[in-house]
Amino acid sequence: MHIIVVGAGEVGYHVAERLSSQQHDVVVVDVEAGRLDYVANHLDVAIVEGSGTSTGVLEEAGIRKAGLLLAVTNVDEVNLVSCMSARDVGGLVKVARVSNPDFYRDARNLKSGTFGVDVLINPERELALETTRLLESTAATDIAVFAGGAVQLLGFVVPEGAPIAGRTLVQLAAEVGHRPILLVALERGGTTIIPSGNTEISVGDHLYVAVRADEVGHSLGLLGYEQAHLRRVMITGGSIEAYYLARLLPEHRVQTTLLVGDRHRAQELAEQLDKVLVLHGDATDVELLELEGVGGADGFVALTESDETNILSSLVAKQAGVRRVITLVNKRDYIPLARHIGLDAAVSPRVSAANAILRSVRSGSVIRVATFEGSDAEAISFEVSPDSPVVGRPLANAGFPEEAIVAAIIRGPSVIVPRGDDTLEAGDTAIVFALPGALEAVSELFPS
Amino acid sequence: MNLREVLHIIGALLMWTAGAMLPSVVLAGRDGLVVPWLGAVLVTAVIGVALWRLTPREVAINLREGVAIVGLGWIAVVLAGSLPFLMTGTTPRVAAAVFESISGFTTTGATVFPVIEELPRSILLWRSITHWLGGMGIIVLGVAILPLLGMGGAQLFRAEAPGIPSERLRPRIASTARLLWVVYALLTAALAVLYLLLGMDLFEAVNHAMSCLATGGFSTRTASIGAYSPAIQWVTVVFMIMAGTNFTLHYRLFSGRWQAWFRDEEWRWFVGSMAVAWVAVYLSRGLGEGVWGAQALREAVFNVTAVHSTTGFATADFAVWHGFAQVVLLGLMFMGAMGGSTGGGFKTVRVGVVVKHVAGEIQKVLHPQAVVVTKLGGRPVRPDVLHTVLAFLALYVVTHGLGTLAIAAMGHDLITSLSAALAAMSSIGPGLGEVGPAGNYGHLHSSSLTVLSVLMLLGRLEFYTLLVLLVPGTWVRSSRQGR
Repeated sequence: MHIIVVGAGEVGYHVAERLSSQQHDVVVVDVEAGRLDYVANHLDVAIVEGSGTSTGVLEEAGIRKAGLLLAVTNVDEVNLVSCMSARDVGGLVKVARVSNPDFYRDARNLKSGTFGVDVLINPERELALETTRLLESTAATDIAVFAGGAVQLLGFVVPEGAPIAGRTLVQLAAEVGHRPILLVALERGGTTIIPSGNTEISVGDHLYVAVRADEVGHSLGLLGYEQAHLRRVMITGGSIEAYYLARLLPEHRVQTTLLVGDRHRAQELAEQLDKVLVLHGDATDVELLELEGVGGADGFVALTESDETNILSSLVAKQAGVRRVITLVNKRDYIPLARHIGLDAAVSPRVSAANAILRSVRSGSVIRVATFEGSDAEAISFEVSPDSPVVGRPLANAGFPEEAIVAAIIRGPSVIVPRGDDTLEAGDTAIVFALPGALEAVSELFPS
Repeated sequence: MNLREVLHIIGALLMWTAGAMLPSVVLAGRDGLVVPWLGAVLVTAVIGVALWRLTPREVAINLREGVAIVGLGWIAVVLAGSLPFLMTGTTPRVAAAVFESISGFTTTGATVFPVIEELPRSILLWRSITHWLGGMGIIVLGVAILPLLGMGGAQLFRAEAPGIPSERLRPRIASTARLLWVVYALLTAALAVLYLLLGMDLFEAVNHAMSCLATGGFSTRTASIGAYSPAIQWVTVVFMIMAGTNFTLHYRLFSGRWQAWFRDEEWRWFVGSMAVAWVAVYLSRGLGEGVWGAQALREAVFNVTAVHSTTGFATADFAVWHGFAQVVLLGLMFMGAMGGSTGGGFKTVRVGVVVKHVAGEIQKVLHPQAVVVTKLGGRPVRPDVLHTVLAFLALYVVTHGLGTLAIAAMGHDLITSLSAALAAMSSIGPGLGEVGPAGNYGHLHSSSLTVLSVLMLLGRLEFYTLLVLLVPGTWVRSSRQGR
């Protein structure tokens, strides 16, 4: 597919990289030559210099043959006008990134009529949603949701003393009486494998598990974690992500404290937020954090713009005894590091944004739904057509490559976390977890 | 300030007042009081026409003129309003006549007459008309109807309308004022019809409807609404709540937004505190005096509503109720109705803002680094508005203290002095002690009546409008701006 990406910033670069590696023809449009040069030097994409709001520039980027326009600059207005300029192009799906809460609130108006936006992406809000889920799932290091949240794909590190450690899923099933969870991937010593029922699990393994949302608590128990109630959370940072999180948490009846470094921004947030205690102060001011009782909090989320500040204040929080500490990390290299020094989970704006955008990219019957930082596996959603060779055959011998596994089946309103004897039917949506090597083989199983 | 231009407008207001007396002149025939009534109309009209004719026509109203028009205009109108009481000989005391007129226009409803049924019908109607005109505001009516106020309308509106300035219904202030008056008139008509259906005669229905919607309190009976059936009392409760509600909300409701009331934070406080007071008063009488049952419930609900909405109708002598109930009522007298309503008092919205502000200050003690923003309906209250509210609180408390002192100096007991001053400032009417619902203000010394008259005017115009008249700077002649 011919895809135009407007904006060569962090999000634009990352999305272009992903799409280009998936064999799409990508053209990146930006006003700044410097950034475009960087893109051209690192990625296999075409570049066009100019404003994405101009019809002429879009024509030059090949808007007439494009199937997808991704307007992802960090200026909402530019993204909206860009979609508007391409409004009359037939068969084009227009995706706009919108961060400003005022715009996002009017999502319905932006979609209908003048602007002609098909999909609105709000990376900051996506990150806040992901953070909320991470906070609530007690132990997860990663989280991705499908089917509007009905199925969750959780990443876990197996702790000392977990019931599952030293056993295989088959052994465990014999004890519990049924297959409790679906293990879709296992990361051990830097490599990701798709395990079978007979793979033995050991302490320190990083597991990816598919569970129905209503069974999360149960599976946590098997993995050696207790589900704890979230009562008080402290957030640091005055970012848009922090704003969205501070709006979401009180809705879940969580007592929220927001620590903002900039006085003016603190005032602004205090005006916009209800039921949140806004404080002005430095995120690494240990005395202040202690005064505000950081140790008694159930969760701590570091969302300032600086990775170093986030990691430092997260360490302070962890030291004080906060059970769940989630850290925003921009630099890719820091993510494994953060986990290594004992922080519970890291979130990345880049990955959140890319996941949100990639979810909207349909290529034939395929939607890429999630990628995981620190692992090359990907979750992909397929629509099952009647001519697919997998229809009606038990999954165990439907011909899936070893490096891929069906993590969930969405059939109408119900969601199935499948076992080997379940079958796929025409009209289902299958969520497949696959390593890069298996992608092509899997795609052949799902012809559009 | 350009005094001549101010006098010009006041002339117009006096002509209006004379016009408002005409319905009473019609009724005066049966009372045999046509001549004194015509006298009152004539005096008012002649002064009005004289001021109007002798002052310049092209009017430039700026801030100072606006405030002066409202302040001096009210004084002129209430003085003219006292003429009928004096000229018909209803009372020979000037202080009493002025008190009754001010009590009418400020929608207080405190009366100097012990037996209402003895008053001529033309006078009864005039009392109700003063309520009705003062309720939504005589100047607001002027802004709505007299286009000549033109540019200065907004200042006039703000100087007279109670509470924290709320958003306009229409971009133009004159259209806003007109809409509010239309809503007001429609509600009054609706209540009059309901009263008729429930068995009042036409005269009583019209009088009580005007008195109720203005949150006044004058009745045609000594026993007030207590003289009528329970059904009438319940209907009155509903309309007193509506009269104590911001009229902007009524307009919204009528234009199809049915959640308009419930969405408004101040309305929720108003009705919430009302409901709490209903229960508190009913329980305190039940537990304290052993008075339970349907009648006790109705009395509790009616009188609490009458006081909270600052109407001041009564169906029972709450001055003899259990002490706890009386203190609750005293608290409601202070709190008063909603901003933008026809009611008086400190205003529910200001109470809410002060409470939230204090809560924020407590928060700051616990969290020294906290950034606290006082919000109203989800929007931040601007610091200057907050300061005005706090200054208003100080003015209210100090003025009330001085008023209490002045009345106590005339030899009245603490409860009487305290409640009379508060009932006057908050435009309630009946207080506690000697001036409770069963009593009246007729036996008070003229100097006490004068003090209360001043308090009523101060409370109705929310202090500043009158107080600036005492500041010499207001009277400095400003350069003529060719606006």
